[in-house]
Amino acid sequence: MVAKPVPGGQVVLTSTDYIIDLSRKYSLWPLTFGLACCAIEMMVAYAGRFDFDRFGVIPRPSPRQADLLLIAGTVTKKMAEPIVQIYHQMPEPRFVMAMGSCANCGGPYYDSYAVVKGVDRIIPVDIYVPGCPPRPEALIYAVMELQKKIMRMKLERTYGATVQAEKGSRDLTGEPA
Amino acid sequence: MSAGADFLDRLLAAVPGSQADTPVKDYPTVRLSAPKDLLPAARLLKDELGFDYLEMVTAVDWLGPVNLGGFVSNPNPNPFTQKHPGPPVSPVAGPGVTYRPVLDLLWSFGDLVKNRKVFLRLEVPRDRAEAPSLTGLFPAADWQEREAFDLFGIRFAGHPNLIKILTPDFLQGHPLRKDYVHAKDRYDAE
Repeated sequence: MVAKPVPGGQVVLTSTDYIIDLSRKYSLWPLTFGLACCAIEMMVAYAGRFDFDRFGVIPRPSPRQADLLLIAGTVTKKMAEPIVQIYHQMPEPRFVMAMGSCANCGGPYYDSYAVVKGVDRIIPVDIYVPGCPPRPEALIYAVMELQKKIMRMKLERTYGATVQAEKGSRDLTGEPA
Repeated sequence: MSAGADFLDRLLAAVPGSQADTPVKDYPTVRLSAPKDLLPAARLLKDELGFDYLEMVTAVDWLGPVNLGGFVSNPNPNPFTQKHPGPPVSPVAGPGVTYRPVLDLLWSFGDLVKNRKVFLRLEVPRDRAEAPSLTGLFPAADWQEREAFDLFGIRFAGHPNLIKILTPDFLQGHPLRKDYVHAKDRYDAE
């Protein structure tokens, strides 16, 4: 645990942040939500050979129970509004991972009349995973990077916490404002 | 596949004005002369000749010229690729096929018992793309015709619910038409 011998009670507050962040980072429950062929790689990452359960990543069938929205595939304009709705149905802190070229920027369908050019045009994204589709190792690496981000989160009204750090959203790497 | 199968002769004899066309994927293909011939032909195929499975309703837009990417070369209507207009193309689509302002409708009927297939084709003008609906004979025609309406703008007379099925509600126009110009919508804003 945190062994900083700081007097004045700060040890307790910092430890709370640490424990909560630790709990969050090892129970990242993504929503079972595949949009295109990237979903196949996502399923492989859940399955035995790559075993996402090691990281506490266990797929949940409901956005109410999910922490992580894994956008695995092409975001069409017709699917854009349901994605925003699902995002708002998730409890905070919520994280979004854009998996694959399509979800990052439109990918090979950039010129299409039907595809949103990146899911970050409709919801904020924490982690971008490049690839078409990304290997499961890339997905695991992205989850580990997201865990590093989560470890920088802080609680409300503790030392150094911004609103963004509290809600676990976008600018987790930024300095406290 | 023999183009002179007996069901083809019966179909050609029963539908005046129809003629055998270039086979599509080596299957017998019949070109109808007018939209009013479609329903009698489909009824004959279903009730007497055993083709009780409607496999596909689609169309081809023969407006040209187009390049290999499918975009009209000059001018290029695609707002995202205007810097790359593509190579110039000839006004001939292929051997014996010229570009013309028509939509070439295509119906595919299957016979699952005897493992046969037959295609019906019908040309309609692009500005008045209308055809009779087959939903009375084949319930499977419902969504197929909605898709053809959505992507090609073909009005199927008699369809009970002819609304968009694939594209979002705010998308204007019919994207698979060669002269489709994509208007930027809320998700294309820079």
